[in-house]
Amino acid sequence: MKRIVSIIGLGSLLLTTSCNKKLDIPNPNTPTTLDFWKTADNAQAGVNAIYSTFHRGGPARWWFFLTQIRADEGYSTSPNANLINNFDRFLITDYNFGEAVGSYADFYMGINRCNQVLDNVPGITMDDTRKQQLLGEAKFLRAYFYYQLGMIWGNVALQLSTSKPTDLPASSTQAQVFAQVEKDLTEAALVLPVSYNAANIGRATKGAAYGLLGKTYLQEHKYTDAVNAFKWFIDGAGQNIYALMPNYRDNFVITAENNKESVFEVQFAVNPTDNHDDDLAPGSDNLNYGSSLPPFFAPRPIGFTDGQARRWVTREFLQERTTDNKKDPRALASFIYDSADERGPQFSMAYNRTFADLSSSWSSDSLASPSKKDVFFRKMLNDFTDNGESFHSGNNYRFMRYADVLLMYAEALNATGQTALAYTYVDLVRQRAGLAKLSVVKPGLTQAQFLVQLKHERITELSGEGHRWEDLARWGDLGPQLVGRDPGFSNFVVGKHEFLPIPQSDIDINPNLKQNPNW
Amino acid sequence: MYLIASRHATFFRNKKPLFLAVSSLLNHWRLLLLVCCCIQLSAQTFAQNITLSEKKAPLKKVLENIKKQSGYSLFYEDKLLQKSSLVDISVKNATLIYTLDRVFDNQPLSYEIVGNKIISIKEKSNVQRQNIPIQANYFIPSTIIRGTVKNEAGEPLDGATVKIKNENISTFTKPNGMFEITIPEEKAVLMISYIGYQAQELPTGGQTEINIVMRSETAPTTEVVVIGYQTVRRKDLTGASVLVNTANSNKVTTSSVGESIQGLVPGVTVRNSGVPGGNSVIEIRGVASFTNNNPLYVIDGMIADANSTVNTDDVESIQVLKDASAAAIYGSRAASGVIIITTKKGKNGPSKVFFSAKYGAQKIPNRWDVMDAASYVATVKTQYQNSNVPLPAGIATSKFNTDWQDQVYRTGSDQDYNIGVSGGSAAGNYLMSASYYKNQGVIIGNDFERAALRINTQAKKGIVTIGENLMLSNTIGRNPGGGINAFYEAPQSLPIIPVKDPSYNTIPANPAGWGFGSTDIPSYATNYVANVALDKVKYNFAKLMGNAFLDIKLTNWLNYRFNAGLEVSFDYTKEIRDTGIWRFANQVPGTSVGENRSQFTNLLLEHTLNFNKSFGKHNINGVVGYTYQQYRTENTSGGRLNLLSANGQTYTTITSATGSPSAGSYTDLYRLQGYLGRVNYNYNDKYLVTLTGRIDQNSKFGKNYRQGEFYSAAAAWRISQENFFHAKWISDLKLRASYGKLGISSALDAFGSWPGLGVINSNPRAVYGVGQTPLPGAYQAQITNPDLRWEDRFITNIGFDASLFHNTILVTAEVYNSLSKNLIVGLPLGMYLGSGGGNPAANVGSIRNRGIELSVGYRHNTGDIKWDVSVNGTAIQNRIVSVGNQGAGKGYLDAGLTRSAIGQSVATWYLLQTNGIFQNQQEIDNYKNKAGKIIQPLAKPGDIKYVDNNGDGQINNDDRAYLGGAFPKFQGGAQFNASYMNFNLNIQLVGLFGNKIYNGIRRNLDSYQLTNFRSDISPWTTSNTNTTDPRLGLETGDPGITSNNIGNTDRWLENGSYLRLRNVELGYTFTKKLLGNIGFTGARIYISGQNLLTLTKYSGLDPDAAGNGILERGYDNGNWPASRRFSAGIQCDF
Repeated sequence: MKRIVSIIGLGSLLLTTSCNKKLDIPNPNTPTTLDFWKTADNAQAGVNAIYSTFHRGGPARWWFFLTQIRADEGYSTSPNANLINNFDRFLITDYNFGEAVGSYADFYMGINRCNQVLDNVPGITMDDTRKQQLLGEAKFLRAYFYYQLGMIWGNVALQLSTSKPTDLPASSTQAQVFAQVEKDLTEAALVLPVSYNAANIGRATKGAAYGLLGKTYLQEHKYTDAVNAFKWFIDGAGQNIYALMPNYRDNFVITAENNKESVFEVQFAVNPTDNHDDDLAPGSDNLNYGSSLPPFFAPRPIGFTDGQARRWVTREFLQERTTDNKKDPRALASFIYDSADERGPQFSMAYNRTFADLSSSWSSDSLASPSKKDVFFRKMLNDFTDNGESFHSGNNYRFMRYADVLLMYAEALNATGQTALAYTYVDLVRQRAGLAKLSVVKPGLTQAQFLVQLKHERITELSGEGHRWEDLARWGDLGPQLVGRDPGFSNFVVGKHEFLPIPQSDIDINPNLKQNPNW
Repeated sequence: MYLIASRHATFFRNKKPLFLAVSSLLNHWRLLLLVCCCIQLSAQTFAQNITLSEKKAPLKKVLENIKKQSGYSLFYEDKLLQKSSLVDISVKNATLIYTLDRVFDNQPLSYEIVGNKIISIKEKSNVQRQNIPIQANYFIPSTIIRGTVKNEAGEPLDGATVKIKNENISTFTKPNGMFEITIPEEKAVLMISYIGYQAQELPTGGQTEINIVMRSETAPTTEVVVIGYQTVRRKDLTGASVLVNTANSNKVTTSSVGESIQGLVPGVTVRNSGVPGGNSVIEIRGVASFTNNNPLYVIDGMIADANSTVNTDDVESIQVLKDASAAAIYGSRAASGVIIITTKKGKNGPSKVFFSAKYGAQKIPNRWDVMDAASYVATVKTQYQNSNVPLPAGIATSKFNTDWQDQVYRTGSDQDYNIGVSGGSAAGNYLMSASYYKNQGVIIGNDFERAALRINTQAKKGIVTIGENLMLSNTIGRNPGGGINAFYEAPQSLPIIPVKDPSYNTIPANPAGWGFGSTDIPSYATNYVANVALDKVKYNFAKLMGNAFLDIKLTNWLNYRFNAGLEVSFDYTKEIRDTGIWRFANQVPGTSVGENRSQFTNLLLEHTLNFNKSFGKHNINGVVGYTYQQYRTENTSGGRLNLLSANGQTYTTITSATGSPSAGSYTDLYRLQGYLGRVNYNYNDKYLVTLTGRIDQNSKFGKNYRQGEFYSAAAAWRISQENFFHAKWISDLKLRASYGKLGISSALDAFGSWPGLGVINSNPRAVYGVGQTPLPGAYQAQITNPDLRWEDRFITNIGFDASLFHNTILVTAEVYNSLSKNLIVGLPLGMYLGSGGGNPAANVGSIRNRGIELSVGYRHNTGDIKWDVSVNGTAIQNRIVSVGNQGAGKGYLDAGLTRSAIGQSVATWYLLQTNGIFQNQQEIDNYKNKAGKIIQPLAKPGDIKYVDNNGDGQINNDDRAYLGGAFPKFQGGAQFNASYMNFNLNIQLVGLFGNKIYNGIRRNLDSYQLTNFRSDISPWTTSNTNTTDPRLGLETGDPGITSNNIGNTDRWLENGSYLRLRNVELGYTFTKKLLGNIGFTGARIYISGQNLLTLTKYSGLDPDAAGNGILERGYDNGNWPASRRFSAGIQCDF
């Protein structure tokens, strides 16, 4: 009897203790979080997934409507009235408007990807330098996404760790969001490499981190901090890395991507077998990792012209001529319009055709062909290499160029009272365009005058690159007074339209979120 | 060795010494009764006391000794004694009869006392010995008889009837079982009866004191019931659990056990699937989960699904556990109730062979009354005329008149055969049965058959008992593929379309010439006959399920049991899609073959210790244990397009097909372990307390919530035992109360074995580097809920069990309040979480169910006509308490036509309200909101008028209102059994009341668009205004007609209440007299009718509609109706 009892007792004990482990069952059907974040390859794949975010519909298409079409440099003549009302006229009734919310959702998806890397990669046993670099990239990219969210939606939720379904983060102010951006970038700048080899070129660099850090400080009018950040390019380790491309146009063509002027580019490539845009859907062999923007911005009849440029911008290029008395070459590089070549539509070329040909060859229907008043953003199109546009443009988006850094540096110097020094960097940019030095043309400007001049310099150098909205915001120039340049601004309400409304669906779910002022 | 059958017990005993120590249960009882009687009688009759002590003595020597001591003479043939065996006997001062009984107990011989002084020895026969010793002329006459009536357990029976035969004299026993009755003459016969016990007749034979032992029939108060890891006396139950009367459930022909208990148990809602081999939907005490409300099934201690693979004829008893006290021992899986099924076991006694056969025919009780070709053409002509559209040429010229319902409905059949053998002794018992069930469905192309074998055995040696229950079953079913519903298609199919006609050969991909719509005869109905011919699905489930146990009696109060269960199922499904289409404008599909094989293994290991000890009036028993279970599914599927056809033969293997192959597989694997315990304490049968606890760990649950604790406490008070309790008409009254927490882990079934585990998505691609080649990215894209876990249900239950009027009426009533919490609901995510799609499941919902259950039974057990009736009813109030954070102002979950909103019942119809028909243009123009806006400006006279609930001057989804629930407010059942002479009758009724059904089929017919019409439509016209049917017209270009056809309106919402005559069975039991010559010990023949009559206002085929999942329960979009069945059968044993 005793033997039986003890056998049973022992048996039960063995069964019981051995079973506790048995409740951790790996899923044999698909990799799960239990099997992932274990190796350096996992870490690399995690970071790759963050970069993949840029190919999603928001960042690769609708984003440019928010930064260019909404600003005074662009407008929409889309047959879809919703695009016009939401992206140009400040007539927003649906706070869940999909084309606007898409970017918001995609940036947050990118942030979730960053958070997973930042939460999991530190625990992976791997080469520390590589680990720090990957963490740096994730921080840079999280900063990039939050910078954009903070810029357009302002007071958004800061989700800084791997999302759980029950997370209900509160609204943060734009200042809090930018503070987080600055923190991430400061940390990223310490560990990111200065440059990459051929196999890795295009990934976030130390320069990208400093550039975006300076840009964020500048946006917040923290000029001294901005100067210090940009200094890395001027007399820090970055001074021998970057230079202006001799040919301005090289910054916008697919044949000169990731050149020495490039601080950070969003990488796009053509997948000839693509048939979908969703980088989470099965069938990654058919994933489009190009940009779908060009058909929306290209002139009729090449594209649909859902977004195009205002005419006033082109007149900015007429203020000065080059030192050899030619039209500022940046006009032609930036826009497609009847007199991009000053000799007129017969000489202004696009898609291997003259503008005159483009505007007359197809139809008398004004919606099917461009009029002589129409101006089209050219910088992200492919008319340099192609005769048409598709939904998978491989032409990279140059988010930050060295020329931009120089102008921002000049702006920060001027704001800190170093106007004389600021001339130096504006001159570099002007000289590359063939213009005379500002120090020669307009020497001795006051701080305020210099800022006015800088605004002009930024328009001529950076139009159609997605920076106009933040420039206007930074300068405090957003307001109905812009109606002369862009009639859409007649609806602009100061104190409201600086930010887009936080999507209503998020407000509904999360009681800790507050709607932006006056929405 | 148990398998050798014999009709002759004596023979059996001689050949098999193992059985020597035993006689059948029946014989035991007779002996007991005999002994009791003898002991009582001995003092007055036989003064001679005998003392004997012999070991292995010849019978003759022993008898001679008895003769000497008693003075009786012996009478026997020497030849007879040669058959005798040696005798072991040791008695001291025993009576003659007691001694003789001991002596003859193991002999092939028997004795008889003849006259006063002779003992006659003869061959053993079926002589009823207890009558023998009563020798009236030997006793002193007396007019007053005293005695006690007790049951087999020795408990006194209170309120038993004691009557003098053929006299008008009777009395009842007192609580201590005593009675006293005056007899008119000394040779009276006593008739003793008591509810639940076999009535007895006993000649007084001049005695003045008679003690009677009553043998239970199916005695409810002394029955032992299974409550999970333990058996207890039914009278000691403290929780809400119901023992199903299988005498009723077995009378209904069903393919699954669940379906067989419809209407029998208060609080249990059963909805039939109707489909051959289909499983019914069962909800115990209301809907307590948004996801899954299936009860847990325990079959002979094996936790496994009791679906249609289990033979209903094998079922001995069904126990339904409803409240926390009853079910808590099953912990995380108990909250939707537990159904414990015990299969038949061998009983002590000689081998018994049993056989039963049943054959039945079945039909659909109702069909849609739709138009024939002539009426259809006439109606459709008017319709086109009304809309000023030329009639398609084909309609007027069609020469066909097809009754589509005739084409797809048929007379189905049931066949059910069982054969088996059982037997047993104190050393063990066995039961083997083989069965075959076949159901040819009432719709062409739908069949189900099951062959099953069961072997239940148990053997005992010393303190060890070893047993097993094993079931092997093979089920085969056939149905057409493609998800086409005959009940949806047949009524709407146009009568002018032929089933098959050469004129349809010209349509591409229709070589067989199946008839369906064309541009000339527009119809989008599916030709179900073609579907049956072209897409064949066959499934074959081979299943082995059983358990084995080892039970060791460690001490007289402590038992250890090891139980190992195994369920292995090999499931195979094959679908062959042949050439051809079955619907107009069908996209032409390729031919294909697909196969799916799945192996399912369910392993259960359990250790339990049972204890049972009494200290004076204190009795304590209970169980502690450990349980471990693993479920594994391995699934493989493959298929290929383009079947090969050669020389008229189509090849249907995957290899022979020529198209692109596809293959897939997956594994599901999860485990759970639990620690369980229960203590029952009972003081003097008066105060009862049960405490139950269970700790469960389940690999499916998120790591933080892997372990769950479940508990319950219950108390019962048998108030009728109290001295102060004097209500004479109440024989027994027990008050009960319980509270506890249970879990629902089945809610996670839909999410597989790893519901909370994030899956890595490897589809993102980065494109950096000079070559900008795609570089794989990976991360957890979809946010899952790592904290996913079981759902909780807290139940408070108060009830009582009462026996009234000398146990002729039994009443049980329950009131409960259950609150389900942490229910799984899909949670919409904020975009700030960056999830890659899908609303993750989270434990955020809550539902409250309050209910009352009542069951009343009455038994009339005396007289020639014996009958009993039982009635049960349940009222359930179901209210949603929370649906989690669905977003601001969104306290509801939408599912099709229903909305499950906080404060409402689950699946409340949320529809537009109609308000008659516009009779003229003036009415339309005057139908305005407060602001003066015309609400339905596009309507025409004869169109449906909708209620503008929000007053915004237009009709849209914002005008929907809550219009009643899909779940019944009240449900009940009634059973009636009667027997007269050899005839017996069983009648069963079920009813549901207060629910609404959305009649999707009528909606389709009444859309008027490209379907057949109801025969009785009466469309509105200027001269036919007193009607509820709107004007006839085509939708094209007529927004009024389109608006009449809005689906989510109350036009098709109907009262779903019904009362159904579920079963009527008339049987005839053959007497032994009749059977004697053919060797049968029992035989019964019967005829039965199932679903003969349904009282309902519902206009669809069957109000017993399971609908579309939990959230659209009452949506009848062609539910398979319950068939009307006529069966005849025979049951016999020998």
